[in-house]
Amino acid sequence: MSGASGGLSAPERIKRGKHSKRKKRKRIGFALDMTPLVDITFLLLTFFMFTTTMAAPQVMEMSMPPEGDVKIEVRENELMTLRLRDDGKLFFNMANDEPKPVEIKDLRKIAETENLRPEIQNKLITVFKVSEDAKYGDMVKVLDELNLAEIKISDVLSQKKDEKGEPVKRKRKFTLAPLDTSDLRLIKGL
Amino acid sequence: MPKVKKKRLSFVIDMTPLVDITFLLLTFFMFTAKFKTEAESQQKFFIQRPKVTADTSKIPERNLAIVKIAIRDTVDGVIVNDTTYNYELVNESDRQQVWASLEGLPDKVKAKPMLENISLDLLSTVIRNTRITNPKTVFAIDADKRIRYKWVWDAMEVMRKNRATIFNYVTEKKSGL
Repeated sequence: MSGASGGLSAPERIKRGKHSKRKKRKRIGFALDMTPLVDITFLLLTFFMFTTTMAAPQVMEMSMPPEGDVKIEVRENELMTLRLRDDGKLFFNMANDEPKPVEIKDLRKIAETENLRPEIQNKLITVFKVSEDAKYGDMVKVLDELNLAEIKISDVLSQKKDEKGEPVKRKRKFTLAPLDTSDLRLIKGL
Repeated sequence: MPKVKKKRLSFVIDMTPLVDITFLLLTFFMFTAKFKTEAESQQKFFIQRPKVTADTSKIPERNLAIVKIAIRDTVDGVIVNDTTYNYELVNESDRQQVWASLEGLPDKVKAKPMLENISLDLLSTVIRNTRITNPKTVFAIDADKRIRYKWVWDAMEVMRKNRATIFNYVTEKKSGL
């Protein structure tokens, strides 16, 4: 720091008369007292650091059919049923098969293979039945796995061509339903 | 004669690099900062959102209505210790209109940015009025992961009855892979 000999406070000026015979020294540099600047900047910095929230919550989109139950006939072999019991156990079955307990983390693989079977490709309807007493967190976990499976499904489908020669688009068919007593009977004791 | 050593009284630190870095950080945080809404800052409960894998869709900032389903210990000082429905509208002008359209609501409640501990009937009315006030409103369900699914299902049914058939579950990104 050239020219600053007065420490942190501004250097005192030496008063000279109008006709001073002393030679004026050329100033090479100057010192700027930055302390207040740094004070304020740090204050603002800490303020913004504490108030800011980095991870904005994300969303998972759902759509439901509007009210007015129109019965749609569905082929049995195009139906995949998932049942979530109140103890957090998940059961899976195709068509009219017996429900089998599955781990939530294995669901991704199952959903991928079932959806990509050649005979029911892009036609499979997933029905997800959730018990009223199940935890919302478990239900979202299952949805998350199904969403993850979509990556591979739509990827495989897009490599195939339809009659018009265009890549096949994934049509996802999914529905949520409450778990009723007949469902409970099916998965009782499993 | 040896030189007389001057006693150093003070010293100077070059603060320029410090200021550089500080300003850099300051501008970064200033631009990324998102402030909490009035309702959020007054919110007295915490929602443990379900964690899912990273998704690209972020929660919209405008035209948003959030149904918060949370476990609350107290409501206005009264111990409830139960799941409650709470309703928040992001657009301030919409909020004032919708709150004003609700009949039989005490002024104290109307002054608040969030409707707390409301019944399903009231929720239904609020959602209907919100859709009348601003049809562009996007609905989101922000529920605690520990609550019973029934609460979410009931809220979804209410939404469906009011023709809000597309909505979002608010989730949080799972940390790590």
